Amino acid sequence: MHKEIADFLNQKVSGAEAKALEAEVGQSSVVVKAEHILKVCEALKDSDEHQFNVLQVISGVDFPEGIGEQKEGVIEVNYMIASFIKNTELILKIRVPRGDDENLPKVDSVCGVWKAADWQERECYDLVGIDFIGHPDLRRILNVYDWKGHPLRKDYVVQETYQGMTVYPPDKRNDPEMAFVGEQNRLNDEAKAAAKKAKAEAKGESS
Amino acid sequence: MNKQPEELTLKKYFQNIWNGIKTTVKGMSITLRYVYSEKSVSIEYPEVREVLPEGTRSRLFNDTQNCISCDQCAVACPVDCIYIASKPRPKDAEKIKTSNGTPIRRELTQYTIDTSLCCYCGLCTTVCPTESLTHTSDHEYASYTIDQMKYDYLDPEVVAWRDRIVK
Amino acid sequence: MDSTENETKVNGKDQEKVKSELLTINMGPQHPATHGVLRVEIKTDSEIVSEAIPHIGYLHRCFEKHCENIDYRGNLPFCDRMDYLAAMNMELGYCLAVEKMIGTEVPRRAEYIRVMVSELQRVASHLLFFGTYAIDLGAFTPFLYAFQERETILRLFEELSGARLLYNYVWIGGVWNDIKDEQLLRIKKFCDKMDGELEKYWTLVGHNKIFVERTANVGIMDTEMCYNYGATGPILRGSGVEWDLRKKRPYSIYEELDFEIPVGEGEKGTVGDCWDRFSVRMQEMKESLKIIRQCLDGIEEGPIMGKVSKVLKLPKGEIYMRTECPRGELGYHIVSDGGKVPYRVKAKSSCFTHTSMLPEVAPGQLIADFVATIGSVDIVLGEVDR
Repeated sequence: MHKEIADFLNQKVSGAEAKALEAEVGQSSVVVKAEHILKVCEALKDSDEHQFNVLQVISGVDFPEGIGEQKEGVIEVNYMIASFIKNTELILKIRVPRGDDENLPKVDSVCGVWKAADWQERECYDLVGIDFIGHPDLRRILNVYDWKGHPLRKDYVVQETYQGMTVYPPDKRNDPEMAFVGEQNRLNDEAKAAAKKAKAEAKGESS
Repeated sequence: MNKQPEELTLKKYFQNIWNGIKTTVKGMSITLRYVYSEKSVSIEYPEVREVLPEGTRSRLFNDTQNCISCDQCAVACPVDCIYIASKPRPKDAEKIKTSNGTPIRRELTQYTIDTSLCCYCGLCTTVCPTESLTHTSDHEYASYTIDQMKYDYLDPEVVAWRDRIVK
Repeated sequence: MDSTENETKVNGKDQEKVKSELLTINMGPQHPATHGVLRVEIKTDSEIVSEAIPHIGYLHRCFEKHCENIDYRGNLPFCDRMDYLAAMNMELGYCLAVEKMIGTEVPRRAEYIRVMVSELQRVASHLLFFGTYAIDLGAFTPFLYAFQERETILRLFEELSGARLLYNYVWIGGVWNDIKDEQLLRIKKFCDKMDGELEKYWTLVGHNKIFVERTANVGIMDTEMCYNYGATGPILRGSGVEWDLRKKRPYSIYEELDFEIPVGEGEKGTVGDCWDRFSVRMQEMKESLKIIRQCLDGIEEGPIMGKVSKVLKLPKGEIYMRTECPRGELGYHIVSDGGKVPYRVKAKSSCFTHTSMLPEVAPGQLIADFVATIGSVDIVLGEVDR
């Protein structure tokens, strides 16, 4: 099914470069170029043979070390769309360069195609940090409206203060000297045993 | 979005009144039955305690005589609320075993569970090889400060608690 | 500021134009009828709502970030804290997703127990909806009746798993504890009693004239709007679409079971109003009891846990698994890079999409109708905010 959808998209939308990623384990998906996502979604919704009329979720995944052949950091945005009329579902992927907190990656918003994209894109902006162009009201949804940073990125460090309050005060943390003392003990024991063994071997060699 | 209601004719007016009376009387016949004939299901709490089923996951208890300090519970805990410290027993000490036969090779120096973080999931009790860590059915242990919620299971007072409350 | 100018006639003479403005009030985070910490900013013109803006995030507990640091088995207690009123279904979705990636086979007895437990949880969740919906509209009695029936189910879950609300019972590869024969007898007695109780609830609340007047023709969500917003579950079925994941994309052993899908028909008003959603949930309870009876007849002997390695590592890849929960469709998108810890877990919750429909349904309603609409959507804030 993914190959047919990729061929259909390459026919309908020029420049989309749709590719089907078949996977042996898990689920296959279709990758499209990020600039043409709006036309691709319109084509999939309006076509008679596919009729993808429901957008379920938009999920953003952060790969700071790149995927596959690409070695620069990418963010992969997955659009899970489904057809409740034909009973099919599809994962549509785009990959955008990562950027940082000042220049967020830009993607076209699909709010005009499915109204479900409204809140889903707000959540993606809030947690992963992608700027959707053309969204009617892009602001944070799950965090506070003036929070800094995008939590689900892999290099996220929580801010120190928020409006004068300390965010993670030391007296509310787990006691650091109690934490995992057992693990440290076992590592010490293993290091001592390894050192003893090395000494015994050295002695055995010299004698 | 609502729909505009239909036109109100005289016949419909009286029909509405009759429907209102009829359905209310039907409903009241059910509730009046509860007043006069059904038994009350309330349990008067502090005087009468309900017997909880066995296997209820409430406050944890660790029988430190049987603990072999394997750290499996601390590794399995999803919220990291178990703090264990142990050191190896000297070579010439007598060999002791737990109640189900596993030899004890390490001596436990600290075993503390931070009950204010515990989520009562039960993952630590399933991986304990000697079943020294178990859930009891004690649920009345509110305290005044958060520091009192860290239970040190090597403290003899805490051990005495278990014999007092747990059956 | 929006303002409307009204001309009023007092004693037959024209008075000066009276300027009126829209009043902005907060149906605040603490409110008995919003079922949790939901804040809706309402702009009203006397008693009629003209705009409603929901603000969420008061219960955000960073489930998705947490999952990236804890291994697969340790994530299960966090999954059932999302929708805490239907915890078994949350765990079932996660376990099905992980099992599909590693390819284990779950033994037959465990499948039967899982389905039985999920359907009992669905009955318990709909009973709670019934009780709280009635109390939102002012009827105080059915709340306690519903909770008394729920006690039997929760007591049974406490004997099975050890906890009353957040179970950690459905594990990757099977279930935790086995079920005894006398517990199966108790479930059968409960099913027989529940049939009589459902008749009582219809007489007490469902066909009551006051209840019908308050919920019929209120909060209409038609099919086009449901598809556009991605609504699923009883909302989509209340609007007339026969869509249930247990029949259209069956998982576990639902293919072998025989049950029907109730659909809203606009019996007391229009198709897709609050009464239809209420009636769909009541009929779903009856269908769930049918499923439980078939499971009781067909349960087989055998082991309850499949073969899963002690240190669980998923192969590289991703999966998106959908299951049918009492409030809609739950989806888990798990991305794994081959390690002990998942790389990314995304939970698609139905209540999040349903809350986004409120701004479109609200304009033109009275505030009391708005309360009835929120109650019929059946939001649980734990799932909205995760």
